[in-house]
Amino acid sequence: MSVSKRLKLTDEDLVRQTLSGNEDGFTGLVDRYKDKIYNLAYRMLGNREEAEDVTQETFMHTFRALESFRLGERFSPWIYKIASNLCLDRLRKQRQPVSSLDEPIGPDQDIPQQVADWSHAPDQIYEVKEMRADTQDAISTLPPKYKVVVVLRHLQDLSYDEIADVLNIPQGTVKTRLFRAREILRRKLARIYEGGMTVKEGVSR
Amino acid sequence: MRCQEVYRWLQAYLDTAVTAEEERIVERHVRSCLACRKRLIELARTVEALEGAEDLTPRQDFTVRLWERLKQEKSSEKRG
Repeated sequence: MSVSKRLKLTDEDLVRQTLSGNEDGFTGLVDRYKDKIYNLAYRMLGNREEAEDVTQETFMHTFRALESFRLGERFSPWIYKIASNLCLDRLRKQRQPVSSLDEPIGPDQDIPQQVADWSHAPDQIYEVKEMRADTQDAISTLPPKYKVVVVLRHLQDLSYDEIADVLNIPQGTVKTRLFRAREILRRKLARIYEGGMTVKEGVSR
Repeated sequence: MRCQEVYRWLQAYLDTAVTAEEERIVERHVRSCLACRKRLIELARTVEALEGAEDLTPRQDFTVRLWERLKQEKSSEKRG
């Protein structure tokens, strides 16, 4: 089937096609979601190779689990849920057991230490590329449960409700985590921007 | 109103998830409070930086490799 024809089909149509044995249906879903899932995974894991792996795994899981998908429900939260969980699993496995014993998990205690230590050379002028790298660095230091909320909100553009649905947590928790995560990022990025701007002002004078 | 009381609305303001009344409170507060104004600007910039992240794409042969893996899995199921 041509891409243009596929574009008119809903996700549910594609799921039905897949379930009836038509491979084009699943290829259509992959075309539609692979970039989104890949970006989600990259922002969560900070590594292209791993992001590629997790994106493959997400579709493998999706394919196997498709029969349990309830038609009539929205497909996108369902696949985001699979992808988010796979990313969170990986991050959990990456964690050093020593640090997780030393640092009790709690709403306030689980902010990583880098928050306080994070610094940069103040004589840098910030270009878009560097700013993007700094943003990704800042995201990578967030605890996984904060990171996933930020990624779903600002990179996948989901609402509080949709995030609550994907992560299976109350909306209030989504807000608390999102607000706290943005506060951490604000502090980190503000320091960079200030450094960058001071230099720029100095140059123009 | 105190900064602490406004803070949650200030954050929700960024997501345009405030009521008209809360929006007015936030805007009135940041007009008179320099610290919260600075904070709001920095938060807005943070959001901008997050949303301005570059869109990446997986490898070109992504779908081909996926189908190979799916078919491999199917055939090993049959054999098993």
